[in-house]
Formats: sequence, structure tokens, C-alpha cells
Amino acid sequence: MSNVITEANWKFHWRLTESAGIMIYLADYRGRRVLWEASLPYVTIDHQHEALEVEGDPGDVHGPWWIPLGTRTLQGPVRVQSFRGGVELSAAFAAGPYNYTQLWRFHDDGRLCPWLTIYGPGIHDQHTYHPHWRFDFDLDGARHDAFERFEDAQWQRVEREGWFPYSGEADDHGNVWRQIDVGSGAAINIRPHSWDDAEVFAIRYHDGEWAPYSPRSAAGAQTFPSAYVGDESLDGDDVTLWYVAHVHFSQSFPYTAGPWVKVAGFGA
Amino acid sequence: MASSKKPVKAAKPPQKKPKSPAVRGAVPARRVPEPDVAKADPRLFDPLTPGEIADALRTLTEDRRLATMAKVGRYRVICTEPLVVKPPHWMAGHRLVRVVAFDYAADRTVDACVDLDAGVVAHLELTKAQPMLSRDEEALAVSIAMVDDRVREQLALGDMPQSTLHYWGRSPDDLAFARRSAAVVFGRGDGHASIVAIVDLLENIVTQVVPAELW
Repeated sequence: MSNVITEANWKFHWRLTESAGIMIYLADYRGRRVLWEASLPYVTIDHQHEALEVEGDPGDVHGPWWIPLGTRTLQGPVRVQSFRGGVELSAAFAAGPYNYTQLWRFHDDGRLCPWLTIYGPGIHDQHTYHPHWRFDFDLDGARHDAFERFEDAQWQRVEREGWFPYSGEADDHGNVWRQIDVGSGAAINIRPHSWDDAEVFAIRYHDGEWAPYSPRSAAGAQTFPSAYVGDESLDGDDVTLWYVAHVHFSQSFPYTAGPWVKVAGFGA
Repeated sequence: MASSKKPVKAAKPPQKKPKSPAVRGAVPARRVPEPDVAKADPRLFDPLTPGEIADALRTLTEDRRLATMAKVGRYRVICTEPLVVKPPHWMAGHRLVRVVAFDYAADRTVDACVDLDAGVVAHLELTKAQPMLSRDEEALAVSIAMVDDRVREQLALGDMPQSTLHYWGRSPDDLAFARRSAAVVFGRGDGHASIVAIVDLLENIVTQVVPAELW
């Protein structure tokens, strides 16, 4: 199977990684570069105890754990399928009581869906999934980016690196964050799933700050991507975005987490 | 949905301090064309061949900065994957390999970028971060847990290892807070989990055995 797909106004490459699921790289929409690379570096899981009384609640006693989504947990082949108005990649991963289907869906109107369907019982009901996606968008070149969030009823430019949770406020189309190429005016709009309890980390790109092979930083230190967040300026530079969802298990599973991403400002 | 044909009107950039008169009168610098990320070679992302992996590992273990690690030999290669850096970095266009290893003797992670074209370790980080478990470590954790008496006592008929996960403790009181650890989940084939065994991979011992429902 070729790892380059040209369909639905998109041209992109993919490969299966050792730990970050299916990685998409060098993606163009209508002949213009959108993405350098994007992947799902990890899905951490933590557990809670069901305590009726606050006094007796020990809190989170145990730490989180995770298992790589990659060649060692892949179930069957990576599938490439066309659908009306687009093309999608999907792959199923299993690790004991945890099951996932990773999806990358490309629509001909510029939408891109990096999604993860989560199912399986877990080891008990009280657990929460934290899928982490990393996007290195290069709209019309790597630099001259700006990052904005919708806040106080308008788009606000974000000057410096940071963590930006979804506050419940969105523009008319449901978009909460966006990355803009200042030179061309093209943009990537990000609309979270309403139930993802999502947040975005905006980080200035640095060689060496590649997708880590674990969320685990040094003992007691912030995990990644928080460990990458400093106080650097974003405006006009190359920006990397992390989208993190927090999904508590419920009986209504399976649940599909992940944002809608849409390219805007690209002429036909 | 927003139209995909109109350029997006960006929010106003943050207010900047007024420029000094000298700067205000200066001739604006010409924008220098940057190397084009759109011209990146997709073949640089291709999976590594066995020869490229061997080449990268040889280069890494011959690097003088890692001489002690290589000599002691208590390290495990966690993964080797292609790495592609963007222009204008000087390594853009080179065939690069990212090698991540865990050095048990020094209890540290080695995160290196090997430039196969130049035959050098071009980037090296030695940190206390912990990478994912290698397949060997997963297998080792299972084998340690399987022979532990406390684990064997709690296993029911039909229980077997379901999965092995990279685990770290939340509290400094937990041995797994700072030490490389794995969680081995045991259970039945239908997905029901029975017990969780935490394995310390530095000492190769089981440090906790917890019924799954109490985890």
C-alpha cells in the first residue's frame, strides 16, 4: 500500500509509528502546505476511587499509566477508505482491557478529523482517558504564525506560550482556537468536541522538542507537553499545538474524542 | 462552517511599545525568503531499514559521551525512528534517526539524533525523563510478575497477563514515583481484569500487588 494519498483536494503521507499511532506528514490542501506532521503521541489513563464521603476519600492514590499505540498494539492492517466527500485512515489498537480506533478523516471542504474512538471495559469503571494529539501546522510556510483563542466574544491574539482550556465560549462555527499564517491570512480552526473537556497547549517550535516518547518527564516534574511550556513569544514564529481531551469512562462508551480541524482562507 | 475561500481576518496583534525615533525612521529590512518546508523530501520520513538502524546504534554507542553506558552495557534501546527536521536547520534534508535508550546503570534516558549522512550524533540529551517501555521490558515485567508468590496467590484459574503498561507513582512515598516501573494487568481472556502487579525494573522485583477493582 502506498503511503501517499491524493484524494478529496488533499495530498498527504502517513506511516505507522512505534508509539504515536498513525502519523500524518507533509499534508497539502488544494496544493498548499498545511501540515508538517501530526500524531497521537500518547493516551494516558488514570483511575479514581468511588468514595461517598469526602473525608474517607484517599484521592488519586495511584499514578497514571499508558501503553504505546503502534506496531506492537496494532490489530489488523491500517485501512484506507473513501467516503462521500473524503478519505479516511483508520487503525485499531488493543492493550488488554483498553481498546482504541484511531481515525484520520480528510474532507474535500478542508476539514480534517483527528479522532480516537475509545472502548473496552478498563480495569474498573472509575477511570479517565487523556488522549494527546500533537500538530505541527505549517500554513504557507513554517514561520509567521499567530495563535488566537475565542474569548470575551471575539478572537484574541495570544502572545506567549501557554495552556488554554476550553471555557465554553466559541465563535459562531464552534471554533475555540485557531492558528493563522499572518502573511497569507490562511488559518487552521479548531473546534473541540463538546464533551472532550479539551485544552490546547500552544508552544513555540524548537528542534529537540519533538514529540516525546512518553508523557513522563523527571520525577515530580510536569509531564509533557506542560514541560515544554515556557514564556516564549509565539507571534510571528513557528507554533506547535497540542490538543488534549479528558474523557471519563461511562457506560455509554464507545466515545470518539478529538477535534474538528478546518483549513480556511485557501482559495479554490 | 466558515468559508474556505476567504482569508481569515486576524485579531489585532498585542499593543507594542512605541518605537524610538531612531527606529521609527529606519528603513524596514527586506524579508529574506526562507527555505521552503513545502519542498521537503517525503522519503526522509520513510521507515528505517535494518541497516540504517544498525548504523545509528553503532554511531551512538561509539560516541565518546556515551562510552560509559556502552562499556557497562546495562541499557536498553527503546526505539529507533526516522526524524526529519525543518529548514532552515542545517540538518534539514539529512537522513536522521532518533534513538531513545534507557541507561539502567545511570538511571537516565538517552535521547539522541544520529545523522546518518554525516555519521555523527548530532543531538544528545541525557535526562531523567522516562520513555515508554521497550518490548523487552514489557516481557521482562511479565516474567518477573509471573513468578512472584503474592501474584501467584491471587491469580484465579484462567487469569493471564493481559497487558503491560508504563507506570509511575503520583506520590514520593510510592517507589514507582522516581523509579522505572511497569504495571502488569492480569485477567481473563474476556477482558475482565483481576489484579495489577507493579514491577520495579531497576531491581526486577514486584513492589505492589493490588486487586484490579481497588486500583
